[in-house]
Amino acid sequence: MNRETAWRVFAGEYNDSTLDMSDGGERSPTYVVTPLGAKVNRLFVVGVLTDMENVGTEQEPMWRGRITDPTGTFHVYAGQFQPTAAAVMAKLKPPVFAAISGKSRVYKPDSGQTYVSIRPEIVKVVDAGLRDFWVLESCMSLKKRLEAAREAYQMNPPTTEELLKLGYSSSLSAGLVAAVAHYGKVDLSRYSSMLAESLRYLLPEFQESRPPETEEVIKVEEKAAEKPAKAGADDQLEGDILALIEQLDKDGKGASWDAILEGAKKHKVDRDKLEELVNALLDKGLVYEPVLGRMKKI
Amino acid sequence: MQEEIATHARDISRALGGKVSEKEIENELNNYLNVYRVSLDTAKRSIVRKHGGDPTGLQLGVSKTIKELIPGEQSVDMLCRIVSVDGRQIDVEGGSKDILYGILGDQTGTVPFTAWVVEGLDFHKGDVIRVRNAYTKEFRGQVQVNFGNRTTLAKESPDALPPYEPGKGSVPRGPPTPMKVVDLKEGSSNVSIIVRVLDVEKRQVQVNGDAKTVFSGTLADETGKVKFSAWKDFSISPSDTIKIEGGYVKAWRGIPQFSFDERSEVSKLEASTLPAVEELEKSPRVWIEDLAERGGAIDVVVRGIVIDIKEGSGLVYRCPECKRVLRKMACRIHGEVQGAPDLRVKAVVDDGSGALIAVFGKDLTEGLLGKTLEACITEAKENMSQEVVRDQLADLLVAQPVEVRGNVTSDDYGLMMIVDGAKILKVDVEQEARAMLEELEGLEDTA
Repeated sequence: MNRETAWRVFAGEYNDSTLDMSDGGERSPTYVVTPLGAKVNRLFVVGVLTDMENVGTEQEPMWRGRITDPTGTFHVYAGQFQPTAAAVMAKLKPPVFAAISGKSRVYKPDSGQTYVSIRPEIVKVVDAGLRDFWVLESCMSLKKRLEAAREAYQMNPPTTEELLKLGYSSSLSAGLVAAVAHYGKVDLSRYSSMLAESLRYLLPEFQESRPPETEEVIKVEEKAAEKPAKAGADDQLEGDILALIEQLDKDGKGASWDAILEGAKKHKVDRDKLEELVNALLDKGLVYEPVLGRMKKI
Repeated sequence: MQEEIATHARDISRALGGKVSEKEIENELNNYLNVYRVSLDTAKRSIVRKHGGDPTGLQLGVSKTIKELIPGEQSVDMLCRIVSVDGRQIDVEGGSKDILYGILGDQTGTVPFTAWVVEGLDFHKGDVIRVRNAYTKEFRGQVQVNFGNRTTLAKESPDALPPYEPGKGSVPRGPPTPMKVVDLKEGSSNVSIIVRVLDVEKRQVQVNGDAKTVFSGTLADETGKVKFSAWKDFSISPSDTIKIEGGYVKAWRGIPQFSFDERSEVSKLEASTLPAVEELEKSPRVWIEDLAERGGAIDVVVRGIVIDIKEGSGLVYRCPECKRVLRKMACRIHGEVQGAPDLRVKAVVDDGSGALIAVFGKDLTEGLLGKTLEACITEAKENMSQEVVRDQLADLLVAQPVEVRGNVTSDDYGLMMIVDGAKILKVDVEQEARAMLEELEGLEDTA
């Protein structure tokens, strides 16, 4: 019985998952299967822990943390059955770089939606160097799955045997077959831009402002049918708002919403537009909300 | 078939203590088999359970040939020959126990077996036995037969089965399959490989009571290294480049080992066929998923992240008799003893494709901690806890990318590396990311 692999999967791919499966048998583990066929029972993530909240009670705490990576946010829950992880999480002061290994969890309420989260086994405070290393590892892992998915999409229908023959592992081959059966052939451009974006995230020449040629990617990533020029303009505004939030945060507790709204007027940004921009910044993990109504740059 | 069903119905009725009539059971059994089309074994067990009985009371299994066996049989009967048998001791909770293991054969093939209860067992290589109520499991994709408490074994006359002929019954011998070292897997037979000899030594061993000469050592090609045993003198010497045809692969603790004998052919090749010895002696970097598929390997490098430090890491005390690590200052076998201090780490190293337990011995652990065993003992005394050393190791190593080198074995608990060398992994993230991005953009341009 081999130990379950700790997958390196970006939040963007993990959170797209709506399939969970087990190999059958009473004690066989359950897996979250991502659209690209990662059969995730355990995962290892490194990112920025942006906030931490006790959503349980004083007596029976349940810690909820959000960990962002360049592509999205992981939701992490630790309660009384994860005493070691919960004890570490209770003491963390966001924002902080955190490494977590844990088990995949699925929650499917009656509404028909699927929420995936992580139940942590080990939580550790780390540094930006390890985060970058993790992003690189996750890129390699994503690249392999993208290649395998492209191969699988050529087959009608894909089979585990054929994928194994191409040299993919038994786990990925089985995962991809299940993924294609459940999700069909997904739009791979979403994941190839996720890969390119995450690689650029590691390169200094792409930090701060984005060069114009990446506008195409932003458009695909946001899946919105906005014109490239507008996406570019939004990018500029996001940068302005980010600078504004940093500037207004004088006491280290974050910038108040009213002050940001006031300051945003100078950039001709109204309330609706500001909310949109701040949400984008939250999604990208560039800011977080330490308390309700306050924004802080990470 | 009806007659057979009647026998099984009688067996079910007996297991139920006769409280249901054989006729009624026979009808039910027919129903299960012909209408619901479940296997005979499942049908019998279901019927017994349905009437509130205990399925372990069933005595008559379903007789199968080795080829017909599938993993997960609960109760199966076989007529087979002992192709080989050996004994060993295994560690179990609360002590050690003797087991027998070996290979069974019949006219359709061979299968490994393990006997978990050895009291009263007396069989030898070549015996033909009737097995009742054995069960099967799957281990690395292969069916394994197990003899447990309920299994009964009876000797049959040796001519009940045709004599076992090695190599027959499995694959007919055709031209050997060319393979690279990295592809060698337990059970591969009639293999041909082109390798360079790294080292070789001549040894005398006892095989089933006979003295034999074996030449063993290490072979390598550009994909990896493998230990070998040659059961005939092919007069090979270090740095020879050779082609071996008709070899086969066995495994020791999961590590594939290449064997060849008088039925194999060995020919010398030009030295330029393969890279030089110095090149081949380097340890190849491997992915853990590949190690898992191979079962193990000698002298490989794994790069991954330490994601856990297992219990029993840090400062430990070992039994002076058997070197087992003491729990609560007592040895599982020898009870309360004066333990000898030692340092070790059992780390879970995960490279995103798989995980293994990397075991670091005293010297490596001292190197990691930057202090000696003696210093650790002093610290543990000051803190009144052995765990302080493990906590330090966890602080140092958890979430740390590492490169480890050593031999990888496997057993029921997964893969394990005995680490020969380790270093903190330093990767130029920027450079690698740039190379990957350029490759990606290159692909887009040509697309």
